[in-house]
Amino acid sequence: MRVEDPTALRCEPEHGCITCGDEAIALRVVTVDESGLALCEDELGRHTTIEVALIGPVAPGDGLLAHAGTAIAQLPREEVPA
Amino acid sequence: MKYVDEFRDPELGRVLASEIVNLVEPGRHYKLMEVCGGHTHSIYKFGIDDLLPENVELVHGPGCPVCVIPMGRVDDGIAMAHQPDVIFTCFGDMMRIPGSDGSLLDAKAEGADIRMVYSPLDALRIAKENPDRDVVFFAIGFETTAPSTALTLKRARMEGVENFFCMCNHVTIVPPLRALLDSPDMRLDGFVGPGHVSTVVGARPFEFIPSEYEKPIVVAGFEPLDVLQAVEMILRQIAEGRCEVENQYKRVVPYEGNQRALEVLAEVFELRPHFEWRGLGFISQSGLKISEAYAEFDAERKYSVPGVRVADPKACQCGEVLKGVIKPFECKVFGTACTPERPIGTCMVSSEGACAAYYNYGRFAREREVV
Repeated sequence: MRVEDPTALRCEPEHGCITCGDEAIALRVVTVDESGLALCEDELGRHTTIEVALIGPVAPGDGLLAHAGTAIAQLPREEVPA
Repeated sequence: MKYVDEFRDPELGRVLASEIVNLVEPGRHYKLMEVCGGHTHSIYKFGIDDLLPENVELVHGPGCPVCVIPMGRVDDGIAMAHQPDVIFTCFGDMMRIPGSDGSLLDAKAEGADIRMVYSPLDALRIAKENPDRDVVFFAIGFETTAPSTALTLKRARMEGVENFFCMCNHVTIVPPLRALLDSPDMRLDGFVGPGHVSTVVGARPFEFIPSEYEKPIVVAGFEPLDVLQAVEMILRQIAEGRCEVENQYKRVVPYEGNQRALEVLAEVFELRPHFEWRGLGFISQSGLKISEAYAEFDAERKYSVPGVRVADPKACQCGEVLKGVIKPFECKVFGTACTPERPIGTCMVSSEGACAAYYNYGRFAREREVV
């Protein structure tokens, strides 16, 4: 079972909802499971689960741009969050 | 920070600002619309409009997903949320959008089981954790968000989840742009095109803007230099007598879009004949509904809802703001009866809404002084 980080990305109305705002976020892939879900990390070390079916195979260390829990684009190597 | 610092370089910003000054004709007024609420947010957060000559005006478009949801759809969602044994899920800003008799947040306070989620996947997880309850996901957003909903419905089917339903309010970006261009009270000189929507649909769908309406459009990223460069590219097209689709956000947006995402959208959704947009009225083929192939997940087939069109409050001028006809501070209730804490109109709710962006970054005070 995947364990989510308690500080994972959330939709917070007090601080603006990134999903409602049509905002996408840069993430780094940590692990990928066989069902097409990837555990990812943002630049602050927060973890979230992302659907990667739209961008093809990804591997740990790859960068992606995610919106509403789904990766919508891959990022060039130099733009992957550290 | 990589991916951010190079797009916030003040020196490069000054160079671009000076190139913009050289491109504009004195005495001519340029009215450019930034389509996406994310651009509106960046413009006021970083003061991009302050770098532009006085005769270059940025007006705000309809690309804020929660801002365009009409009150009647909020009422329909609240009616579903009050059904017995329903867990109703939606994104955070959506909870504060006023319906005719309160918001989803008010309904939650009255006892409805309404939960905030970051993604449709979170809503599906709630459904799997509560097999004896029906979980309804209130789906909103443009083509940026719709693929996530579509993939989640495919996953629900794959995993055999039978208590997950979706109330689909997804919309598409091209029809409202066409409606704006056809509107007699609009005179626009060009568009800053949406960045994240275009990662899905690509830049090609915007070709009708130069070919049919002879206006330039530049798809842009969201960092300050992205927006400033897009403005420079639009003004350069005008100065050189060109009119085309350009892609400033090439590092993320492929011209043809994401084909897998488009295929998933075509499989799971179909176009509604009409959909109501707040402030813009009914626009043909601008909204998505769940396709026959995925009908078992359609919350609107399972639950009866009022389905009544509700007029916006008379004092609220979100419609004019969404069409770029007036600036937020020109609305009679801006900053007085309507604030981010107690919004009357949708544009004051989301941080991407034009009114909230003005309010949060101090444009209220500054613009009032000018007026």
